[in-house]
Amino acid sequence: MLKKTLLPTILLILGYGFWISPNFKEIAAGVAIFLFGMLFLEDGFKAFTGGVLEKLLQKTTDKTWKSLLFGVVSTSIMQSSSLVSVITISFISAGLVTLVAGIGIIFGANIGTTTGAWLVAAFGLKVKISAYAMPMLVFGIVLSFQKSKYLKGAGAVLAGLGFLFLGIHYMKEGFETFKDSFDLASLAVGGYPGLFLFAAIGAAATVVMQSSHATLVLILTALAASQITYENGLALAIGANVGTTITAIIGALSANIQGKRLAGAHLIFNVVTGVVAIAFIHQFVWAVDIVSESVGIADDNYTMKLAVFHTLFNLTGVLLMVPLIQRLADFLVTSLPEKAQDLAQPLYLSEAAIEFPETVLKSLKMEVWHLFDSAFEIMAHGINLHRSQILESTDLEKTIAEDREVHEFDLDELYESKVKVLYGAIVEFISHSQAQMPSEFSEEMFRLRKAAGEIVECVKHIKHLRKNATTYMLSTNEHIRDEYNQLRYQIAMILREIYRLREDVDFDHAMALLEMDELKAEIQSAHADLDGRVTSVLRDNRITPAMATSLLNDFNYVDETSRHLLDTAQALLISHSDLVAEAALEVVLDEEEIEKATVS
Amino acid sequence: MKFTRLAEKFEKLTGQHEQGSAIKPDKLDKLRQLLGDKKSRYQKKLDATDDSGKRKKLERRLRVVRAQLDKLERLARS
Repeated sequence: MLKKTLLPTILLILGYGFWISPNFKEIAAGVAIFLFGMLFLEDGFKAFTGGVLEKLLQKTTDKTWKSLLFGVVSTSIMQSSSLVSVITISFISAGLVTLVAGIGIIFGANIGTTTGAWLVAAFGLKVKISAYAMPMLVFGIVLSFQKSKYLKGAGAVLAGLGFLFLGIHYMKEGFETFKDSFDLASLAVGGYPGLFLFAAIGAAATVVMQSSHATLVLILTALAASQITYENGLALAIGANVGTTITAIIGALSANIQGKRLAGAHLIFNVVTGVVAIAFIHQFVWAVDIVSESVGIADDNYTMKLAVFHTLFNLTGVLLMVPLIQRLADFLVTSLPEKAQDLAQPLYLSEAAIEFPETVLKSLKMEVWHLFDSAFEIMAHGINLHRSQILESTDLEKTIAEDREVHEFDLDELYESKVKVLYGAIVEFISHSQAQMPSEFSEEMFRLRKAAGEIVECVKHIKHLRKNATTYMLSTNEHIRDEYNQLRYQIAMILREIYRLREDVDFDHAMALLEMDELKAEIQSAHADLDGRVTSVLRDNRITPAMATSLLNDFNYVDETSRHLLDTAQALLISHSDLVAEAALEVVLDEEEIEKATVS
Repeated sequence: MKFTRLAEKFEKLTGQHEQGSAIKPDKLDKLRQLLGDKKSRYQKKLDATDDSGKRKKLERRLRVVRAQLDKLERLARS
């Protein structure tokens, strides 16, 4: 109930907000554009996975000091720790860097961002990143139209950055009106409560302005106008540091769990550093004075002293937290667990079995059957049938002709989560155990590996078949509908036969193996019949040429699927220890022999 | 690896290969019997039905079984 009403409620609130406040509209649009940019950025970086960028990132972030340095340098160049953190989130979401390396980069970014304080202090400089948004978008989109995978990726990265900048720009514009409402003097409170209050204000101001640099300028102005005390100014700077994390948190909304963990690490680091800085504010003031004196900064040059403070407390934070990186990563993994995906897990493969060839073959065969079961479900739904209809209906042809229910499901997702995972595990298990296997077992192992590959191929063919099979099973043209129902029947019949043989405890392996040849002959015959029928119904204009082309193409998918299924069954139904079945394997007919038996 | 050990391994390997490729005659006999039974079963069913669809299907199956029996005989002779 809550789930159903949540989306309309959010849309209503947003709509109402847009109606009453143009600023709210601008802020919301900013957030939307920003998130859109994040999606682009992630897609762009994904184009480089397995390539130069991955190697470069791996090399530059494989040790904590390297990832720290990466964060320092990149933030110093970009002059935005928020931007570096969102880019790191997209790296981590694309699987280019590990969580620990990502945390290292974030820590480094916090040191890198202090160079901004020095720039502000020295030149009053504020790098306006939004100015780059438009050219980046234009170049990015032009590149994304290119054929090359890498140019496309680079285009998506550029466009993503452009959208990020544009989003930040709109958020800033939207918040502009709130900026003047900060009357810092009216909020002056002494002692620690004052420090915490000003830290909160600093955080809020940074969230509003989307730039810690802008907050620093605000602090300096307030300090120059004596609106606030020096210590309150420091608290504002601490808050500004915490406030920058909001950009990363917004960025993490569209990221995967790793990205969310990284945003969590950013928040924890900045909050812990901030709390430590406030707790030891007097010691920091003393340290700032010592450092300032030693480098010749005047006692009343608050601008420079603020830059010194900013650097000192971020350095302290990094020194405190670096030894805890791994613990922090572990904590985040436990507290932000990965949403349990409905991934199929191998049931029978165990590394412990590798030493025992018989066990390896047995568990491998059971796992390939497991893969077959997973694929069966997808194939059944792919041809819009329930598993039970295939296995239990008394008249399969009639059931298929009468049942017009379309099964709505994401075949690609199921393929990824149920088939590809198991296939990967099987291939990996074989590659690990192959070296230990005696030669007499290797042939069966090869057969099982081939069978697993054929099951995967079957699912892919069903994917291609599904579109037209679904369209034409609902068609008002009974001729094309019947033909597609025949294709569905052929797949269903073969699956049913394989399961019948598998479930039959008394079945003779050798005869089951040879029975597959009879089914192959049936497919062959169906192929010849179909060719004749298509020519006839096409000549009589009962189906269109487009329908005929689809039908013949799809029949090839069905043909391939059927052969793969039967070959798989032949591989799964025999065992190297069953010598009659081994002999039957020699008697199994090849394609030419089956063709001969079908037509004669 | 010492030469004697290598020779031993080679012998074992080739021995296994030869052993693996040879189909024992009794296994072929068993298979011949099973296929023969099946052939008669199909023939009986064929004789008992007038349904043209069923007949066509059974005839096709019979042809496959005969082809398998032929192949088995060729294998037994070789």
